[in-house]
Formats: sequence, C-alpha cells, structure tokens
Amino acid sequence: MRAKRLKWMRLEAAFLLVMMLVLAGSISRPQQAAAQVSQRTGIVCTTGASPNPTFTLETKTGYIQLPDGNTMFMWGYSLAGQSFQHPGPTLCVNEGDTVTVILQNNFAEPVSIMFPGQENVLANGSPVGPEFDGNAVVTSLTNTAAANGGSITYSFVATHPGSFIYESGTNPQKQVHMGLFGALIVRPALGASFAYNRADSEFTPSEEFMVFLSEIDPYQHQAVESGRSFNMNNYHPRYWLINGRGFPDSIADNFATWLPSQPYGALSLIHPYDPATHPLPGLVRYFNVGSEEYPFHPHGNNGLIIARDGQPLEGAGGEDLSFEKFAVNIGPGQTWDALFKWYDAEAYDQTANPVPVVIPDVANLTFGMFYSGSPYLGKQGPLPPGFSSLNQCGEYYIIAHNHALYQITSWGMTMSGPITYLRIDPPEPNNCP
Amino acid sequence: MNKPNFSRPISRRNFLKLAGGAALTAAGAGLLPQYLRKVLLPVGVAEAALGDPPNLYFAGTDGWMYLPPNPPISFFHPDNYAPAPFTTYIFGFRNITGMNSAQIANQKMKAQHNAPLFWVDQYDPNANGGAGNEFRLQLTNLGLQMRPDLTDSHTVHWHGFRNVIPFFDGEPTGSVSVPVGRNFTYIYRPRDPGTYMYHCHVEDVEHVHMGMTGLVFVRPLQNGNTALYPSGKFAYNDNDGSTGYDREFAMFLSEVWAESHWCDAHIQLPEWSDYHADFSLLNGRVYPDTLAPNGSIDPFNPVRDANGDLIATPGYEHLQYQPLSALVTCQEGERVLLRFANLGFREASMTLAGIQMRVVGRDATLMRGRDGTDTSYETDTILIGAGESFDTIFTAPPYQGPGPYDTYVLYNRRYSQVDNLADADGFAGQRTEIHVYPSGALQAQQYPNDWGGA
Repeated sequence: MRAKRLKWMRLEAAFLLVMMLVLAGSISRPQQAAAQVSQRTGIVCTTGASPNPTFTLETKTGYIQLPDGNTMFMWGYSLAGQSFQHPGPTLCVNEGDTVTVILQNNFAEPVSIMFPGQENVLANGSPVGPEFDGNAVVTSLTNTAAANGGSITYSFVATHPGSFIYESGTNPQKQVHMGLFGALIVRPALGASFAYNRADSEFTPSEEFMVFLSEIDPYQHQAVESGRSFNMNNYHPRYWLINGRGFPDSIADNFATWLPSQPYGALSLIHPYDPATHPLPGLVRYFNVGSEEYPFHPHGNNGLIIARDGQPLEGAGGEDLSFEKFAVNIGPGQTWDALFKWYDAEAYDQTANPVPVVIPDVANLTFGMFYSGSPYLGKQGPLPPGFSSLNQCGEYYIIAHNHALYQITSWGMTMSGPITYLRIDPPEPNNCP
Repeated sequence: MNKPNFSRPISRRNFLKLAGGAALTAAGAGLLPQYLRKVLLPVGVAEAALGDPPNLYFAGTDGWMYLPPNPPISFFHPDNYAPAPFTTYIFGFRNITGMNSAQIANQKMKAQHNAPLFWVDQYDPNANGGAGNEFRLQLTNLGLQMRPDLTDSHTVHWHGFRNVIPFFDGEPTGSVSVPVGRNFTYIYRPRDPGTYMYHCHVEDVEHVHMGMTGLVFVRPLQNGNTALYPSGKFAYNDNDGSTGYDREFAMFLSEVWAESHWCDAHIQLPEWSDYHADFSLLNGRVYPDTLAPNGSIDPFNPVRDANGDLIATPGYEHLQYQPLSALVTCQEGERVLLRFANLGFREASMTLAGIQMRVVGRDATLMRGRDGTDTSYETDTILIGAGESFDTIFTAPPYQGPGPYDTYVLYNRRYSQVDNLADADGFAGQRTEIHVYPSGALQAQQYPNDWGGA
C-alpha cells in the first residue's frame, strides 16, 4: 500500500497514546505568545491593542500530527518569533479598529494575505489589487511579500462585526491547501458578548467555539516538501480536519503538549441551558477553508444560524431571517455563525424522574468509552468488568461531526477526522476536574 | 397511530402480544436458533421486562438488495455472492413489530433498504389524561449472517432530535449500543414537528453507507384543525394553514458505492477517501424502479408472509426488500407535501420540472425568523446536503389530459452523480414522476406515499 510509505506509527498505538494522554488530563503549555489567551476550551484569541491592533505574521513550515499516526508537512502563518502553528493564529479585533497585519515572507516564492469580507484593504498604504505578469496575466489575487525575506503591510478598518477567513491569495490552490489560512473575528460595538450589533445575538463568552474545517491531499504536501511540482488534476483529499486536528486529537485541550504545532482544540465544554442561571446560548463560528462543502452535524441541538460570511441574517427593516439547522452545510470559503444551547428536555433524574425503561444489565449492552454508566447527568453507574471509561464526573458527551461520512476518515482510519464533542458538565458544584 | 398510555399498567398477555420480540429473550435462549444461542450467553433477564410495549420494534441485520446489474462495474457489481435476483449486499433495519420469536429469527439476512419509514405525533403533555404521550422504539440486533466475524452492535440515532440525553441519542461512544441478540428501547417525546432521518451510528461511515438509514417525521399538534386547512393535515404548527396539505410523500436520498458494499460482503475494507456514488437512490430504489408499487410500508399495519418476510409485489420480485415507492400521485388542485431527507454523502440538486415548490421547512424547522418573519420561498430546485432535510409543498396544476394523468418529472439535476450507468439518457438514479389526475380519480391517502388507489 502506498499509504504506508508515509505512516510512521501503528494506528492502534497512536490512538491509545492519545487517549491515555487525554485521560491524563489537561496539561496546558505556557502561553505561546503574549497576545494569545490560553484557556482549555473555546476560541483562543490573538489580540492587539485596540483601536490600532498590529499583528506581525511570518511564514513558516512545520509538521502536524494526524490521527492515523502520519505526520504532514505544512505551511503556515505564525506569530513573529513564535514557532510554526496550524492553522494560523485566530485574530480577534473590535469593530472600528484600524487593523494592521505585517507579513514577513521566509519562503522562496511570493506569498500574500487576502481578507475576504473586508473592504478598502490597503497594502503598504495603497489600495490592494491583483498582481500581473508582463502579459497582463494575474499572478496573485492580491499584493505579495517578495520571496526570501520580503515584507508587506496590510491595513483595513474592521467595519463589519463577524467571522471571517484570512488566507493566501497567491497560488492559492497550493498555498491555501498547504495551510496558509486562519480565522479573523471582529467583535461588534455592542460588546464582546454579542456576535453582531443585535441584542438577540448575545452569547455566553465562555461558550464561544470555533469549527474550522480543512482538508489535505498528502501527495500535494509531499510534492511541496520535496520541491516537486504537483498536478492539481490529481488533487484528492485523504484527510479532513477540525481546527487543524483530527479526532481524537480534536478534543484535547488548547495547547495540548503532545500537539506542539496544533494549538486549537475543538471540544465544546458547556453547561446545560437554564432559564434562571444559564439563559444565554453558546456561539459556534464555522469556517470552511477546504475545496468542497462540509455538511457539519451537531447532535442533540439545532444551531440557530444568525449570520453567514460575516453578515447577520436580517431584513432591510431589521427583520429576523435566522434559521435553525441540524446540518450546517457550509461551502468553501464560507463562514456561518450559530447560536446553540442544550438542555435535557425531559429533565430526567435518577430519583424524581427516571428514564421510563428498565436499563439493561451491563452484560447486555456495549458501552462507549465516554459513557459514565448512568443515563443521568452527573451520575456514574456500573461498568462492565474490565471496561475503562474516560468519563470523569458523570458528564455528557454529544458528538458533532461532518456528515459527508467518508470525510470522517484519515486515509484508511475510520471514525477520525472532523469529529468533536459537546461536553456537558453537570451543574456546579460538581466533581469535574 | 398506536400510542400506549405511559401510565397504564400492562398485563403480561398484552405485553407478549404487542412485544413478541421481548419474548425472544423472556423465554430464554432455548427457543433460539443455534447461531443466536451461542452469542446470547450469558444473558441477564433485565431486558425481558422493558416496561410498556414498544410502538415499533426494529431489528438490525444484513441482507441483499437490487440495483440494475447492467452494465456491470468491474469486479464489484453485481456482487457474485448475491442470490438472484439481487445484486448488492446491505446492512439495514427491519420492522419486526408484533412478530413471534421464530419470525424474528427468520429476519436475519432480510434487511430492507431504505429502512422503514415511520412517524410520531408531537409530544402533547395533555395526552392520556395528563400523562403525556411518548413513542417507544425497541431495537434488537440479529447479527450479520454474511459476516459472522463482525459482531458489530447497532443503535438508532434520530438525526436532528433536539435536547436528547446521550442515552437515547444512539451515538455509541457517548452512550450504549445494542450487541447481537440484545434489546434496547429508545424513548422519544418529540417537541419539534418536521422531517428528520434516522440511522445506526455504530461505525457510522460503514453502517450508514451500507443502508441502516431511513426517514422519520413528526406530526404537529395543529393536525386536526380543519379551520386552517380543510384536510386538517399540516407539516408544522404554522397557525395560518400555510403548511396544510392533502397528500404527503417521503423522498429519502441515499447512495451506493458498489466497491464498499462488495468489500463488506467479501471481508475487505474499502478506502473511504476514494468514495464516489455509483448509484443514487430515491426511497431505496433507482429509476425506473422508483415508479414501481409500494410493498407493505405502513409500519403500524405491516403485512408479511407466515415467516415474517416481506412480500414482493408480483412482477417486482427484485424489489422485495425495497418496498418504498417514490411515485407521487395527486389530483389537480391538491396540495402535496414532499419530505426530503438526504443520508447520502453528497449534495443533491432535486429539481421538479414544470411545477414550483414552496420550501416551508428545513431541518425540521418552519421557515420563520424568531420574530415570525416568513422566510419560505418558491423554487423548482432544492440543493440538499448530507444530513439535511427539506419540506416543500406544491399545488398540483390543472389536469390537461388526454391520458389518465399528466406526468411531471422530479430528478437530481447533479447529472454527474445520478447516472446509474444502466440508463442511457443520463437521467437515472434519483428520478421519479409526479402523476396529476383529474379531481375524483383518487382515494384519500391512507398513509404517506400511498398512491390513493392509482
């Protein structure tokens, strides 16, 4: 099998190792950059000094780890002076900020950054535009930093709140696929706990998550690593990722030590909706930097889609045009924003309101590795002999995954790729670590 | 629909009558055929007392289905193991509600595709004297006859069900799944009307693609209100009759990659990133089989032979395990609800030529903003991705004649994905017809997808 040429470890060993490390709990590594705020779950924002934040990004190469044990050569935007990371840093700014992004190019070919959704972007103080060769053929969709040490400064006023992508505009079928992309979040004037300048877009800040979806053709990456050309007619993704990781790496903490170049976890840790104590929903920002639509399916709740491509879904008179979805079918280059919440509609309780079925004996069921042994939130129950659950405190795990199911595989390893979980911890006080 | 009163004590006699399947385990392993006896031991007796009888009782197993054998797909299609007239190995569900234990055991290797269509009334807290109504779906696992080495468990995942606990979600990693020979009962009290789908979530890349997929929908509490629409039948609680309809048809989309089905039958593993759809199916069939008659599709009134097997319509023996027709029959002026759900892995572009449809719901949600703004729209094409559902309503145009009915075509415009190789015009696969009859030609629909006597 040609696939084996790139595989360094046995799949089972890799999976076990990851799960042991997950079990071992969270070991946050020290903050990577002064500007990156590190919490275990949720969006890791790289911020600057509002109202004039400046970010210096440099191009770097590096390697990421994939669920099947393979290691993949990547390109990326990294914070200046920091090590390679994938995807690029999530830049968070405020509406009205004048944002400056300095790109330093270490590669042997020109690179650039596009800011789709931003208007009046400047490059070195002049309006951006495509670059052409002597025959008036476009060589880059936007202004480039020259090869081997060139630099360029982009700036724009972030006039619209919302979720955006930034990505290379130069030879993008190569450079974007190699990993030159990241997320840009513009927070509205109404406040950081709102997605847009609408009162009905308020969310719980500790429950703001990113679903950043991408794909990899390993032969393209191998060709770039070895300096060979790649025929895009042969492009065929074999890996699909969420936040730059595949499951089960995807549910490890932000900055998990064993994923040194993949800092962004995708586990959504929330508490149940409660009208009195936890009334505000969470927010998921979906990004697609791949080449086809990704139908992402969160179990157990419908996302309320409140915006697409950084535009709130509202009519000319402010009418609400939001809609609920259980399959968020996001196209290449699109961003969708979804409010969501979860609660047990039945309010099941072990004593006051038990599930109206006789729970089969442990010998008569197959147990999942995240199952507590009890149907009830915050409870743990009997487990089959010899079975090790990864459940810590009776928390719930509800899956969310790409429903083009051939995409939740990793070149032969099924049930990996863009899968993550909603982890619902019992109401506090609880015993959860 | 058969709704048990949750609070009503159940006699043992009723229990055995309505849940014959539970008797399978209640009576112990002695009644079982040899192949089940082995895997059933040791077994606790807990599941013999599952409480109230289920509204429906499903079994997961394997089987064979029919897809056009010509032209063949080198090596993989038709499968050389397939018994005539079938071509393709599948996993799937069967409705075994009310069967005795011997009949249930007989259904191993008799899966159907797609899985049985069923529907549930919206939860009503005032039903049953304030006890509320609930829907109980019992699942058992008959094992895979072709693959005794695969002792996979099964589940039912109701795709899109909101605010469900993991225990009843059917996602096996966060909860439990059903081993071979065991039983589990899922409880549903759906609050949100609309069109959903369900599937086994164990190894779901494989189990979904192998065919453990079907359509389920929730009827709204507004049903019965003849003031809003004469039929009293609605897709949603719209409060204005805008989703009222006279006839309804499930349109369930799935796909078959012949190589992966062959691999499962021949103890091989496919490389899933090579995925492509050789066949695109509508209600488990490809055109022109989509126009063939329904088998027994009312899950609450199943018709079977003495062994419990599905009965093939004479002349359509190849569709014995694909009983759901996709033909739409209606009378001029009637409002027709099409419930689309897609559990293929690719987007489909379903086009209705010559009639405008109004999209009234998506993903089991009425097309309204939070402030009530109407977001429904008219179209002749819906782009429906993997795991999405659409509810569309059209009004049947006037009958023109001269034949017994006028014909309109509903098809997947994504031609590159719907040519099943067997049909020279490139229109095959996900294609069916709408037959519009003159007023008075049809009877009322008895259940979804019923032809009304056409």
